[in-house]
Amino acid sequence: MSAGIEISLAIILLSVLFSLSSSRLMTLIKLMALQGALVSLLPVLLNSANKLPPGGIALFLIMLLIKAILIPALLYFALTRMAIRREVEPLIGYHASVVVGLGLILLATYLSRYLQYSAPGVLALMPITAITALGGGLFLMMSRTKALTQVIGYLMLDNGIYLMGTALIKRTHSHYLVELGVLLDLLVAVMIMGIILNNINRAFDDVDTLDLEQLKD
Amino acid sequence: MNFLLFGLFSILLSGLAPLLLVRRTHLAKGVHSALLAVGCALGLCGLYAASQAGANTSLSFAWLTFSLSLSVDSLATLFLMPLFIVSPLLVLYSYQYLGTSQHTVRTVASYLFFSLLLAAMVLVSMAADMITFVVAWEIMSLASFLLVLYDWEHLQTRKAAHLYLLFTQSGAFCIFIAFALLFAATGSFSFSTEAISALPHSLKLTIFLVALLGFGSKAGAMPLHIWLPHAHPAAPSHVSALMSGVMIKLGVYGMLRIYFLLDDPAFIFAWIILPLGMLSGVLGVVYALAKHDIKRLLAYHSIENIGIILMGCGLGMLGLAAGDRVMAAFGFAGGLLHVLNHALFKSLLFLGAGAIQHSTGIRKLDTLGGLMRRMPVTGRSFLTGSVAISGLPPLNGFISEFLIYYAGFLGLRLTGFNLVLVIATIISLAMIGGLASACFTKMVGIVFLGEPRSKEAALATEAKPAMRVAMILLACICLLIGLFPAPFIGAAFAGLRDLAPLSSLMLSDIVSTISRNLTMAAWLFLALLLGLTGLRRWLYQGKPIQRGSTWGCGFTQANSRIQYTASSYAMDIVDFFRPLVRVRTVYKGLAGNPLPSPAEYSSKTDDLAEIGLQHLLSQPVLWCAAKLRWIQHGRIQSYIAYIVLAIIVVLLAA
Repeated sequence: MSAGIEISLAIILLSVLFSLSSSRLMTLIKLMALQGALVSLLPVLLNSANKLPPGGIALFLIMLLIKAILIPALLYFALTRMAIRREVEPLIGYHASVVVGLGLILLATYLSRYLQYSAPGVLALMPITAITALGGGLFLMMSRTKALTQVIGYLMLDNGIYLMGTALIKRTHSHYLVELGVLLDLLVAVMIMGIILNNINRAFDDVDTLDLEQLKD
Repeated sequence: MNFLLFGLFSILLSGLAPLLLVRRTHLAKGVHSALLAVGCALGLCGLYAASQAGANTSLSFAWLTFSLSLSVDSLATLFLMPLFIVSPLLVLYSYQYLGTSQHTVRTVASYLFFSLLLAAMVLVSMAADMITFVVAWEIMSLASFLLVLYDWEHLQTRKAAHLYLLFTQSGAFCIFIAFALLFAATGSFSFSTEAISALPHSLKLTIFLVALLGFGSKAGAMPLHIWLPHAHPAAPSHVSALMSGVMIKLGVYGMLRIYFLLDDPAFIFAWIILPLGMLSGVLGVVYALAKHDIKRLLAYHSIENIGIILMGCGLGMLGLAAGDRVMAAFGFAGGLLHVLNHALFKSLLFLGAGAIQHSTGIRKLDTLGGLMRRMPVTGRSFLTGSVAISGLPPLNGFISEFLIYYAGFLGLRLTGFNLVLVIATIISLAMIGGLASACFTKMVGIVFLGEPRSKEAALATEAKPAMRVAMILLACICLLIGLFPAPFIGAAFAGLRDLAPLSSLMLSDIVSTISRNLTMAAWLFLALLLGLTGLRRWLYQGKPIQRGSTWGCGFTQANSRIQYTASSYAMDIVDFFRPLVRVRTVYKGLAGNPLPSPAEYSSKTDDLAEIGLQHLLSQPVLWCAAKLRWIQHGRIQSYIAYIVLAIIVVLLAA
């Protein structure tokens, strides 16, 4: 089963890189759905040796539902409502972004060496993927101008944190309960972002956050 | 203690009940006034019971992880007394002063905050540990801030309220620091002298200085007074009266509480407090002379009176340090009695100012005039308050100032620097008395005598009955204390009973002699006054009296503009203090033009402390902020980058 875990981790890593180089918002949303599905399935794969109680399975199902279906669907509707298709509009170019992403992987590998000491017995790829997703999300937020990309970056950040939690904390029920709570917060955040996006769109005829500079005094 | 708690409960209820009666303005007002009056009456009973019980009555209960404890000692009793006496009268006044039916919600909200402020002040006085004190102190500050905001539509009001909030919160910050220092040194939140008095002298001095910064800004001692002249004109009059008459005294209360907790009779405390008192006293009254807005002028008089109270306390501290406990007792008792007296006459004056503003809509002295004939009750009670605040017999201000003078005269036995300080205090007190009389002759003369200087003043009508009754009652209490001072002097000395260094002092002989003499002097003055009035009436009997326009100076076509103005009356005295008071004059005159042409003259005085604050604090801060403005460019991406940077820095530092 270890191979399955490693493969899904690798796919997550690649999806982070791909999202940094993607120029289309729709692609980004699809990537997020994929990433969310993989991330929420990972704990199940890790725990496959021991039998999960029905309550645990229900929790993971809810998580899968929110991360892989609900949030991407909301983003999809936001995108279609606002009728924008492409134009991620990077402040930092796609190629440079990919280079940054690779640098992030290097940094993550370096950092995860320290984590290995503090948490032995964890799959080596796990913290690397987690930190890369975290940094990638932050980078996405910093380097793109469309407000929707900020939401996606935030989602990726949350995926990274979730992975980190899975990697470091002893897996028990209650831990995932906390995660679920965080996830609900995130869902609300996405909805609020949707409203704000709508307002930005109405005010500026675009969701470019650079327009928000006009609001400062 | 039970009475006090029931009183507190009733006061709180008086704030909450009107919320349910928003639609019935009169019922809400009535319920509020009645409950509050009952609460204050219960409070007074409680004070009486506490003073009879003798020992410190206390009560404590748990809240979160702290225990809140309340106790009433003699010092708290003295500070609670003016509160329970004055506030029912203020509520009576506000019954007809506060807005009419279209402002019901606002009125009800102001009732809530008024009750909250009262309850918080009671709790501050009763607090027996730091947590209770700080919680009550914050509620007090915030409630009074919201009360100042009553007329929030005006930009001026909002600015004043923000200034007040700034001062009160930075003051609270200093108090927190002082308490934190105390807690760090003793490990306990309670106001217990045993642990605290063992601290080293330097630490005690630091704590006292930091606390003084906080309490001084609440009390309005001179360099920290800036909020007072702005907040008082902005607030409704009865709120100004409560804040100026009672609330700022709690700053003095806090200072005294800390001083007696530290239990360190060193000269240095007196050397700090006495000059502070002199500065506040003299400059307060000089600025008051220079200002021509009724309420701003009264606010500066509050600063002056805080100065007098501080002088009394400073003389007390000096007496303790020098081992002269009689002098100490007279100093403290004088200061404490002045707390009560100032609460009475300053409330009276603010209510009078409110009545004038209510009836004319004017606060500027130079557009009023001739109100004594149009508002006889307001005018006469205002005059009573003016005589009292100037410290003239036979009214109450004289009694407390005399006690402070007496402490000063006892202090003449000291030597060296202390003697110089005592002499300077006596001179300042005398100067303050003279200048205050000058200031109030200006005020009464310009506002109530002469001819009206504007249409509004000419059309003024007497204040409404509830307002009149409140003012008359306050004036009567002022006169009562002036004519029968003995029980009040006794109460002031009884206030020192629970203060460790003064508890075993037996002064009854000297105190009763002095009260007897003071009583006699007051009655003599009253007899003289009545006798002279009677004589004048008798002499003028049967003679024809011709009435002309005031200050008409024989002109047949005298108009109101040839009268004295407030500035022309005060300028001689203000000029003398020129380096301390900055006067800006604008004169567009007849320079080089021999023919008559329009001329213009105006003068404005600036507060030195305000200028100092602006130059030393706000301008540098604004300059730095302007230099750092490029950080705020409104680009979300960079803000996220800031956050990431901050997290990385924190992680690396950790």
